[in-house]
Amino acid sequence: MNGARILDRLQRLSHLQDLEMMIHEAEDAKAKKAEEEMGFHMRGLEKLRAARDKWRAQVDPRDLRLFDRIVKRHLRAIVPVEERICLGCYVTLPTSVSPPAGDQDRLLTCENCGRILYWLE
Amino acid sequence: MADGSRILRYLDERFFVRDLKAKTKDGVLKELADYLSKDREVRDPRLLLEMLKKRESLGSTAIGSGVAIPHGRSLAIANIKVLFARHKKGIDFEAPDEEPVRLFFLIVAPPQDTNNEYLPLLGQIAELVKEPAIRDRLIEAQTYADLAQVLEGQGS
Repeated sequence: MNGARILDRLQRLSHLQDLEMMIHEAEDAKAKKAEEEMGFHMRGLEKLRAARDKWRAQVDPRDLRLFDRIVKRHLRAIVPVEERICLGCYVTLPTSVSPPAGDQDRLLTCENCGRILYWLE
Repeated sequence: MADGSRILRYLDERFFVRDLKAKTKDGVLKELADYLSKDREVRDPRLLLEMLKKRESLGSTAIGSGVAIPHGRSLAIANIKVLFARHKKGIDFEAPDEEPVRLFFLIVAPPQDTNNEYLPLLGQIAELVKEPAIRDRLIEAQTYADLAQVLEGQGS
């Protein structure tokens, strides 16, 4: 499995997280009310849930298991890395860790909080 | 009158698009995402576009009176960004009043948004464009300085 493949897997998972976040906000009564007061009508929640469920089938099953396991502990299973800092727990990553590339097969996770690292360089 | 000066913190000259070319709703979303992706803080243009399309399936982001505010959170972006764009003829964006949309504000935020800036910013833009005089001036703005004046509430 090459670097491009792992980035593709990361992109699929990232889209899943974007969908989960969108659904989470649409289910949140306060956030939903705020948006509706601004003039947005959010009537397509079921459609969005169906799109999410369909998308899950596009994700590598191993990645999906990891994602689901992390989501039980953290709302955001995938977090960006900026200047070697995990933006989930704000701990600096060890210098031995680098962005996914080459023939790496496993998604990178934070050693401290366990979240999947969205790290593109 | 609503004060839109805060919007300028997230908008810059590159993101004032005077004349969108797209002829469909999906085409507009792609064009908006392409313009925003000129910013290096957009990590993944394709991910950004997919998020915007899915947000429309939740409900159109057109709010009537010729205005749409496509918005959402995505891992694709590092910091909140705002883009303003116009379409000369107007596009069917499935608006509640069925009016074609000529004015677009795109707002994208990262999922973490620790300062909770995103929703208040969205509200500020939605409030601002409710005023017919502001919408007229947004249509007429020729330069970024003109646009900034409108958003700052000057010259009204």
